[in-house]
Amino acid sequence: MNEENKTPEQAPEAEVIETTPAIPAGFFGALLESKGIAVEHLGNDAKGTEIIRLTAEAILKAGELLKGDASSKLDMLLLVTGIDWKTHRESVYHLYSTVHYHSLIIKIVADANDTSPSLYPVWPAVDWHEREAYDLMGIHYEGHPDLRRILMPTYWLGHPLRKDYKEEDPRLVWNRR
Amino acid sequence: MMSVKELNPELQSNLPGVSIETGFDTNDLVVNIGPQHPSTHGVLRLVTTLNGEVVKEMEPVIGYLHRSKEKMGESRSLFQYQPTIDRVEYLSSFYDHLVFVNCIEQIADIPVPKRVEYIRVICLELNRITSHLLWFGTFLLDLGASTPFFWCFRDREEVFTIFENLTGARMMYNYFRFGGVNNDIPAGWLEEVRAFCNHFPDRLDEYEAVATKNPIVMDRTKGHGIMAKEFCLKYGVTGPALRATGEALDLRKTNPYSVYSELDFDVPTRTECDTYARYLVRVQEMRESIKIIKQCIDKIPGGDGGALAILKKEVEVKTKEAKKNPEIVVPHWDKDWDTMGKKINLLTYKPPAGEASNFVESPRGVLGCYIITDGTPKAYRIKWRGASFSNLSALPELMKGHMYSDLMAIFGSLDVIMPEVDR
Repeated sequence: MNEENKTPEQAPEAEVIETTPAIPAGFFGALLESKGIAVEHLGNDAKGTEIIRLTAEAILKAGELLKGDASSKLDMLLLVTGIDWKTHRESVYHLYSTVHYHSLIIKIVADANDTSPSLYPVWPAVDWHEREAYDLMGIHYEGHPDLRRILMPTYWLGHPLRKDYKEEDPRLVWNRR
Repeated sequence: MMSVKELNPELQSNLPGVSIETGFDTNDLVVNIGPQHPSTHGVLRLVTTLNGEVVKEMEPVIGYLHRSKEKMGESRSLFQYQPTIDRVEYLSSFYDHLVFVNCIEQIADIPVPKRVEYIRVICLELNRITSHLLWFGTFLLDLGASTPFFWCFRDREEVFTIFENLTGARMMYNYFRFGGVNNDIPAGWLEEVRAFCNHFPDRLDEYEAVATKNPIVMDRTKGHGIMAKEFCLKYGVTGPALRATGEALDLRKTNPYSVYSELDFDVPTRTECDTYARYLVRVQEMRESIKIIKQCIDKIPGGDGGALAILKKEVEVKTKEAKKNPEIVVPHWDKDWDTMGKKINLLTYKPPAGEASNFVESPRGVLGCYIITDGTPKAYRIKWRGASFSNLSALPELMKGHMYSDLMAIFGSLDVIMPEVDR
């Protein structure tokens, strides 16, 4: 088509991609509480992403709800982070919606034996991410189908990202003295 | 003669669309691909179980390139850690810097001038082109065409020269700073970029004339490696692979960061979901990047660096003189023209305690960084989300039932880069 034939009326329409809608503060927490799930509100981060903390018992039910509910539709899991707070370990899940383009951060504290429920039944994308958190941080995810080391060699001892980690492997040369 | 089915009925299981009626026994064969394989673009090991020539099972073994980037972040100050970020993903290292710098800017609430945002976007989009060019060359190399590889490197060289003039380095830039960039653009740099933008689309036309409608390329890519949207969501696959399923998820459009909301560009999508669609999306993305860069050159506040540097010097001198002699008029200086939002002494810089996460659209998909600080010069925890990590996790299921000879074509279309997987 020639440039001259183009009239302003025929110009292609602008992209119809919605930008991030402004969701009310505490939206996801209120959604879960309306279904009878206990939520600890941790406010928003600098970008306005809501942060909530859930208990290990409630997480799978809450996950199904957040993924399935038409107003939240958090269908993509972006990131799983294990954090060592010295007294306890914590898992952080970053979730995103490919429908509404909003996101949510969920935190779950692991118990005294460093076990935490796996979110594999809800978001299968956690597979490698939880393996990495297990490998480097030593959080055991209950219900994960294949919890093995992923980055470190299978014979490695300890979990390197823990704050009290020391290379105490007796096979290492500098530990033989 | 007995057929294979009679000899071993189990062999027929879970291989869609493949029937083996050869009449001789084909036991499963385990083939170890890599870690040193030219087509895995890094050190990736694929333990593959083959039934005949059909992939039955596959297990990626990663970690050969694990350099403990996250542990390094906890043991060095932020300033010392910054040069090592380039190595998280060396083909598009501006993106790693952007997520890292943005996280600290969010935690410490550091303002970023407009000019800096435009300089950053020019760098990012040029970097997207170099990254896609390398993919274009190696993808065709995997299919057996060796010449396009050299053409792509010729163009990459041109962009690297542009980067070298700006940052002093060709691949490991270490250019972005908290609230700014290391140095202003040199005189005439924008013209170099404009010259590249003017002739690059013609080059791309040439490459496309060779590859896009090439019958060999089409035969080997069309209809292979189909990833539907549900499959992508199941594994967290993002980037061009997701956009080839018709899902227009591009964080530059959907959750605009930097100055992308002021720029006019399209998000190329396809609906075929196959290897060929991923190829077309990436080629189209390079054209969109050129469009973005051209707009940035026109819109950048302050314009070219040469005249601005002279003006800045004049403002500094006149401001000093004006303190003694109030009659001297200081020339106008706009805050948008600065290259630093807030002066920070990086050697002793301590961000306040807090946490921030940031996600951007890198050439390979959603790249993210999650930082927790505790008020010391070091970060308490740094976590990287490499797009390749999630994209690679989809490979075993994607390859199931495909021919072994299609492995590298399909794997190449995911554009996985190993340093980002292992970090």
